[in-house]
Amino acid sequence: MKLLTHNLLSSHVRGVGPRGFPLRLQATEVRINPVEFNPDFVARMIPKVEWAALLEAADTVPKGPIEGYEHDEKFLRQMHHVLLEVDVLEGTLQCPESGRLFPISRGIPNMLLSDEETET
Amino acid sequence: MAAPGTVMDSNHQSSYKLSKTEKKFLRKQIKARHTLLRHEGIETVSCATRSLVVANGGLGNNVSRNQLLPMLEKCGLVDALLMPPNKPYAFVRYKTAEEAKKAYVTLNGKEIVDDLGQKIILYLNFVEKAQWKELGLQALPPGLMVVEEIISSEDEKILLESVNWTEDVDSRNVQKSLKHRRVKHFGYEFHYENNSVDKDKPLPGGLPDIWDSILEKWLKEGFIKHKPDQLTVNQYEPGHGIPAHIDTHSAFEEEIVSLSLGSEIVMDFKHPDGVTVPVMLPRRSLLVMTGESRYLWTHGITPRKFDTVQASKGHRSGIITSDVGDLTLSKRRIRTSFTFRKVRRTPCNCSYPLVCDSQMKETLPSFPESAREALQLEREYVHRVYEEIAEHFSSTRHTPWPRVVDFLKALPSGSLVADVGCGNGKYLGINKELYMVGCDRSQALVGICRERRLEALVGDALAVPLRGGSWDACISVAVTHHLATAERRVAALQELVRLLRPGGMALIYVWAMEQEYKKKKSKYLRENRPRQGEDEATHSHAAEPGRLAEQVPDAGDQDASRPGSAAPDGRAAGGGARKVTDAKLPVHTNRTSFRSQDILVPWHRKGNPGRDEPVRATGSRGPDPVFRRYYHVFCAGELEEACRTLSHVRLLQSYYDQGNWCVVLQKV
Repeated sequence: MKLLTHNLLSSHVRGVGPRGFPLRLQATEVRINPVEFNPDFVARMIPKVEWAALLEAADTVPKGPIEGYEHDEKFLRQMHHVLLEVDVLEGTLQCPESGRLFPISRGIPNMLLSDEETET
Repeated sequence: MAAPGTVMDSNHQSSYKLSKTEKKFLRKQIKARHTLLRHEGIETVSCATRSLVVANGGLGNNVSRNQLLPMLEKCGLVDALLMPPNKPYAFVRYKTAEEAKKAYVTLNGKEIVDDLGQKIILYLNFVEKAQWKELGLQALPPGLMVVEEIISSEDEKILLESVNWTEDVDSRNVQKSLKHRRVKHFGYEFHYENNSVDKDKPLPGGLPDIWDSILEKWLKEGFIKHKPDQLTVNQYEPGHGIPAHIDTHSAFEEEIVSLSLGSEIVMDFKHPDGVTVPVMLPRRSLLVMTGESRYLWTHGITPRKFDTVQASKGHRSGIITSDVGDLTLSKRRIRTSFTFRKVRRTPCNCSYPLVCDSQMKETLPSFPESAREALQLEREYVHRVYEEIAEHFSSTRHTPWPRVVDFLKALPSGSLVADVGCGNGKYLGINKELYMVGCDRSQALVGICRERRLEALVGDALAVPLRGGSWDACISVAVTHHLATAERRVAALQELVRLLRPGGMALIYVWAMEQEYKKKKSKYLRENRPRQGEDEATHSHAAEPGRLAEQVPDAGDQDASRPGSAAPDGRAAGGGARKVTDAKLPVHTNRTSFRSQDILVPWHRKGNPGRDEPVRATGSRGPDPVFRRYYHVFCAGELEEACRTLSHVRLLQSYYDQGNWCVVLQKV
């Protein structure tokens, strides 16, 4: 699971609604996956990122998009690495509202809920 | 907090993957070995010899000599390459064992593309010599008997002339002209739509008088045990055939006999394990099917003008062996078959429940009446099935649909796209300019996405675990039709809308009830391999030859389908006011039109030979496992109507694409 994907995940436990985001990430096994750097692509991702959630999930992240980030290669490369190259293989995701834990196994988050937990 | 823990380099990862693949490959190779021994009498040896058997590299599974020989010659001097006709294997003998060894190392497990464009894997094993079981030693399917010269030439002439093919269409002994062959029914009319007879509506006149004395004679001489009350006369011109099928268990008693006049023919009997036995039915012979040959094996006639027969045996009955030196072609003539059956009045209680419509009826689910029942139905007949068939399913879902590709390619670079019900990730990697995340309920299928290095997670389409209002686009291809109530289907659509940012677009594809639209049949109806018995002419050229249509299960043999049940929706074709309570879901017959909106569609795991499965592997002696998936196929306008109930959304496009109803929505 890439950190960009984590940034887009939300819990659906009954009653949490928009408070099911962001999921608290606890990674026990991480791998770095080289991905071809495409500055335009990364630049377009930046406005879509929920920065607070990203800061919670990753260590070495700038506090926010800097002025003129679209042309700042250093910034873009850093974001590229964090969002697209860090791959969480094992760990857990925790719903901030209900505390429910979701497993990440072999890089795959399993967000399935039981019947009782499902929102109607 | 994410603190990069153990950083694993990709090497470690890939070596872990290899051992898993290696294990799988070994299993397949062993399966191939067993099958060859069991069905073909081919004994493989573990030490290197000059000769090898190449499983999956045979004429019988569309691998040509032109393709195989060069590959083999690259490994050494080829002494001989034997390719027995209709067999899914070949034998190669090299000048030295060293060269054979090289071939083994180089080609074992090699993936090639056959004449039909399908990917298959070759499995090589050493053999003492190139030899396979003479099919003469193999028995006919159990319960099968062919009685030769049961009718004299004089009587043959009289009987053939007695059939009036030009009778008035209004007359009760209705002559139907099917695409392939002419048919007439006596006693009871046989309905091809549901493979059964109407037991309460006998045709007046019964069986023609001319047969009375003949049937008495057959009874007396012990060729038949019961007096039949139904007769179907088929006239096959050269080039006509009949697809492989089992006569519906519940419609007829055990004994089925068929008289061949006018021409001999080769009829193919196929066991669910995949073994095919071609049987010669000489002119004026009586074919008697009982037991396994009647209940379990399918029988069919390949549509062609010549049959391959044994030269030495002349026109005598028996199995056509693959003695390559003894085969010759026999030109077909007009054959008229007279098939006598006795209508069954009680449910069938044979020993082959998995192919028995009477016995399968008890275990089939009913139309869901509540959300709870819907969930149960989906669990049992969607989720569980996909988990079981994931790998096989994925191997048949490789071609992305062009219009879905177009939709994805038209999206601006840097778009966030969610694929809800992503399956094996077919669409996730189509456009590299997008960030696509897949969500599917099947852990096994998501695992396959992951193997392909695609971002995917396990989640439910009714509670998509992605943040709302953030996605530039969503796609939902062949998903919504797996939900068992209208409310759940609408809820799934609403989820897609929730995900979209204002202005974002959703593309939705669902299977259509109408498989024939604007007079054109969908690929699902058309596409079929020639060996299934269809006319070669109906093969679509637009489709990759031999490839199965997307979105459909394998073209398994025709199921013993149940007579059409009540159509609770009332919208189904031909559905009138029928009793709805406790209505069992009908099982659909693959490659035919839908007769009801809520159905169970079979999936045969042991699909077609020639795929990367080794030569028809067998485990138990039983028929291949059939999985049934629940579908609610959509009528024209139904998807649009469902979308109209959604809030904050505008319908941009609505169209029909290869057997599917499709819409494009935009969030306002």
